[in-house]
Amino acid sequence: MASSRGGGSQQVIRSGDMEKMSLDQLKAVKEQADIEVNLLQDSLNNIRTATGRLENAFAALHDLSLRPQGKKMLVPLTASLYVPGTLDDADKVLVDIGTGYFVEKTMAEGKDYCERKINLLKSNFDQLIEVASKKKTLADEAGLILQAKLKQSSPSS
Amino acid sequence: MSSSSTALRDLQSDLENKANDLSKLQKDIAKNHQVRKKYTIQLGENELVLKELDLLKEDANVYKLIGPVLVKQDLAEANANVRKRIEYISAELKRLDSSLQDLEEKQHSKREAILKVQQRSQSLQAGKAKA
Repeated sequence: MASSRGGGSQQVIRSGDMEKMSLDQLKAVKEQADIEVNLLQDSLNNIRTATGRLENAFAALHDLSLRPQGKKMLVPLTASLYVPGTLDDADKVLVDIGTGYFVEKTMAEGKDYCERKINLLKSNFDQLIEVASKKKTLADEAGLILQAKLKQSSPSS
Repeated sequence: MSSSSTALRDLQSDLENKANDLSKLQKDIAKNHQVRKKYTIQLGENELVLKELDLLKEDANVYKLIGPVLVKQDLAEANANVRKRIEYISAELKRLDSSLQDLEEKQHSKREAILKVQQRSQSLQAGKAKA
């Protein structure tokens, strides 16, 4: 069978090794790879959601910066109760940096924070996509070889 | 012949005990992985916070959320707190690492012991069949 020998540079299991494995071992390899691919897909989705929320925050900040001081607004006290108020200083914003810490920043710094976080998430996302696609090719290869072996061992048709 | 069947039964119960020990070891290893995952995530978050705090100017206002209350904190104090937390988490992770190694060694030797018992019981059963 002419499969790609030494194809992936980082693959621990080469396609040549997979051909030598027994049916059970191959099944285990494929299942393991499938589980890992699913985990990686979940992580990718999480990053996508987080990036979306950060972009919303960035847009909201930008919107806020356009509002003049003293503008009438409605302040949410609970999910269903809003109270009329006036916009005070739109130049200072409180940023949640994690583990319960909040920092007072200016509007520009706040926007910069959002951008930095978005860029960090995007680079993580790109790295993760690389790893995930390599795992997926491994899983697909394992599946193909498994199918071929199954056909070989039961040549009834 | 009865002595060999009691020996076989002893081996069986020994096998059961060892199998129980092995599954307990595996559960401990799984728990170790879980706790270590949690700590790794916390460590990452705290390092992000530290980076942000380092970017601040001396006079920037830092607040900490304690329950429903936002309390103003000193920048130096916040830095110290986060650094201490990072140290603590790193120490915990190291401890988990060593206990994981220990557990894995125990698991390995347990598996070998089980194999030996199985071999003995097999040879005993083969001996009984012949007699």
